[in-house]
Amino acid sequence: MSFGRFALKRSLQGIGVVWGVVTVVFALRFVTPGSAINAVAPLDASQETRQAIAAELGLDQPLYVQYGQYIFDLLRGDMGQSYIKGQEVTALVFSRLPATVELAVAASVVAIVLAIPLGVISATRRNEPVDYGATLLSLGGISTPNFWLGIMLILIFAVEFNIFNTSGRGVDVGDVALSVVNAEPFVGTLLTWLAYITLPAIALGTYFMALITRLTRSGMLDELSKGYVQAARAKGLPRTLIRYKHALRNTLIPVITVLGLQLGTLIGGAVITEAVFSWPGLGTLVIESINQRDWPALQGSLIVIGTSFVLVNILVDVVYAYLDPEVVND
Amino acid sequence: MPTDNDDHVDRRTVLKYAGTAGAVGLAGCSGNGSDGGDGGNGSDGGDGSDGSDGGDGEDGSDGGDDTFELGVTMGQMDSGLDPQDHAETNTEIIVGQLYEGLLDRDKEGGIIAGLANEWERTDDGSVRFLLRDGLTFHNGDEVTPEDVRYSIRRIVFEDVGIASPQTNDLGSVSEVTTGDGQVTVSFEGYNPIAFQLFATNGPVMQQSWVEENGSDYINRNANGTGPFRLSEYDSGNEVVYEPNEDYWDGAPEVDELTMSASSESSTRVNQLLAEETDIVTNVPPNEVSRVNGSDVATINSVASARIIFLQMRYDVEPFSSQQFRQALNHAVDVESIIENVLNGFGNITGQPTLEGHVGYNPDIDPYPYDPDEAERLVEESGHAGVEITLETPIGRYLRDVDIAQAAASQIDSLSNVSCEVEQREFSSLVQEVTAPNLEDRPHFNLLGWGNAEFDGSQTLTPLLSSEGALTVLENDELDGLLEDAEATEDSDERVDILQEANQLAHDLAPWVFMHQQFSVYGVSSDISWEPRADEFIDPDTATQQ
Repeated sequence: MSFGRFALKRSLQGIGVVWGVVTVVFALRFVTPGSAINAVAPLDASQETRQAIAAELGLDQPLYVQYGQYIFDLLRGDMGQSYIKGQEVTALVFSRLPATVELAVAASVVAIVLAIPLGVISATRRNEPVDYGATLLSLGGISTPNFWLGIMLILIFAVEFNIFNTSGRGVDVGDVALSVVNAEPFVGTLLTWLAYITLPAIALGTYFMALITRLTRSGMLDELSKGYVQAARAKGLPRTLIRYKHALRNTLIPVITVLGLQLGTLIGGAVITEAVFSWPGLGTLVIESINQRDWPALQGSLIVIGTSFVLVNILVDVVYAYLDPEVVND
Repeated sequence: MPTDNDDHVDRRTVLKYAGTAGAVGLAGCSGNGSDGGDGGNGSDGGDGSDGSDGGDGEDGSDGGDDTFELGVTMGQMDSGLDPQDHAETNTEIIVGQLYEGLLDRDKEGGIIAGLANEWERTDDGSVRFLLRDGLTFHNGDEVTPEDVRYSIRRIVFEDVGIASPQTNDLGSVSEVTTGDGQVTVSFEGYNPIAFQLFATNGPVMQQSWVEENGSDYINRNANGTGPFRLSEYDSGNEVVYEPNEDYWDGAPEVDELTMSASSESSTRVNQLLAEETDIVTNVPPNEVSRVNGSDVATINSVASARIIFLQMRYDVEPFSSQQFRQALNHAVDVESIIENVLNGFGNITGQPTLEGHVGYNPDIDPYPYDPDEAERLVEESGHAGVEITLETPIGRYLRDVDIAQAAASQIDSLSNVSCEVEQREFSSLVQEVTAPNLEDRPHFNLLGWGNAEFDGSQTLTPLLSSEGALTVLENDELDGLLEDAEATEDSDERVDILQEANQLAHDLAPWVFMHQQFSVYGVSSDISWEPRADEFIDPDTATQQ
């Protein structure tokens, strides 16, 4: 199979997955009790009022008609209108997406910047105190629920020491960039941005960091015991060169795979962190939409989350195939 | 290989920029100490979310200048800004800063003037409102009687724009007519609580603005007459307001108002204690001491217009027995629940109408806690040994699950009744509570009811009359009293009838009467603000300390 065909196949599979997400979410209406009408109408609304609202929202149509209409609109790029907020879902979802992506990327940066050096040091100083410390840290990171960590971080660093903000988003990364263009105080804007994003990024990135640390450590240990490393040592190459140019590069292949997959998970999995920090991203929109049975908004959010996940996966697959042509043949 | 070259250049370029940015950042950090005060000026000060931080310790802008920036954090954001297309409190609070109705309420729930400064009942039973002179919408256009007529009709009649969920809020309006600076509303029959309804409902919008703009636009923009204008709307995140300098009652003292939400109550309290916001809603009882123990905020509470009760369906055993229903009222120690679960934030009730509301009967005492009497009544009812399940929503009302568990445990401790709790997600439970047919509704469930009109009929009719949307009871005598109350034009006589209805409801015991819920707010020590009985938040009455 050529590389092009491989990429095409993966893309078609991705579209299938997104369609599956849409259909499954639609099917959930069958089994989920509750209705958007209850979120829109007061408790004592008459049956006539409820029926009028149902008709306005299109909920009086049979489900297959609603489904067909939804897919038809979706193919034209229209994700419908929120039952509850009355806004176009496309605009609504894309207004929330940047916040979630920003948080996911920030969490990844926090994780990678700490995890890879920690993993390498841990592997190269095996069974030394620093290794034990790193192992303990990564074990703690994997075992700690991120909502609890988030609350602790808020209590300590925001409420007690008043270093960071407790919640909200404040400025976004775009504002930081624009501050340079608009000759606004760059440092002030940057610090404001950091005051908001640091704690949620740590809360969300800690599990990820722990995972990468362990992966890097075990990968490095594996590589360092291989023959080519022995040969390099025998040739008299400097230790640093062997570790960082040869062993680490090979270790990074699985790490990059996990990184890519986890980035997708971070986008979809930031729901709890967003709730704890009132971060106005897709996660909070998902929770609101579920609570209010706002199906169009929920579907729109899940389509975007699903698509992000699929895209990242395709990207990782394609990059992986590019780096390792055997994958294509497999 | 050009691609490779490009790659190399890109990587180096990125690294170079990253290095430069890092250096600039470090230089900036080192020099920032003396610039600390800049945080609150210029562009930062203009940012909505920073606004709420404004005062806060980090930059001290509140202390440095006279700008009064106020932050309010609730549990949930709005469901769009159309004031006539929602039916829940959070949205009402957010749009209520922008839009207002013909009449209004004071903090205790009394009726006061709104856009109309005079109102009267006409000879034929209609109600007439005289608009103030010189009223303008936020876009500068004059408020006309036709705008008011259109607004009422848009709420009441489905064919005028939308199927509004508020369609029943103004009563059975039949026609709206306009005259010189006045609007007359007629009803199908006599409406004894017309002014109560208009004091709580009926936000006025500009007809031409509504007709020119689609739903998506109206839900993201605003053009009302309220004390604040919309400055910035960030859906699901925050709403920023500026004072309406042309407000008929004078511009509010607040220079910038930011409304935001945190679904987690601990997050809201943390925001308050970190001085990032000034008013937070629904502080749970277990967080009260943390707020009061701080030197930056205090708890401010008020008895709300919401009553909490355990509904029992009269048509299914064992709840079909009046003795059994009364027995459960004796079995639950409401005062102990208020004291231990709600930290005192509640008033015990013994009738559907709350104290201070029209029709409240001061002669009715709550059922006393008496387990022996409860056991005796259960025996008499013939249902000894019965097993019942109390369904409760999760997180809908203050400590709802804890209250339900405490009540169920007290019922369960009777020697002849077993009771367990089933926790239900609210949306799922409410689907059954509002089912069109009584037989599809839960047998025994916890529910709360807010009576924004402060009139007993607005609780008794929907919840206990045979035709009520949420009823669990069918009693001809009670139906008759409520019909009489609806028809009578003498307000004193009407009060007497409602008091009688409350006595009957107490005796019939269709509910286990629980408590009047309190609205518990955390309020920054930097401001002075008193909460309202109707759960609405009025930041225009807040002042700087």
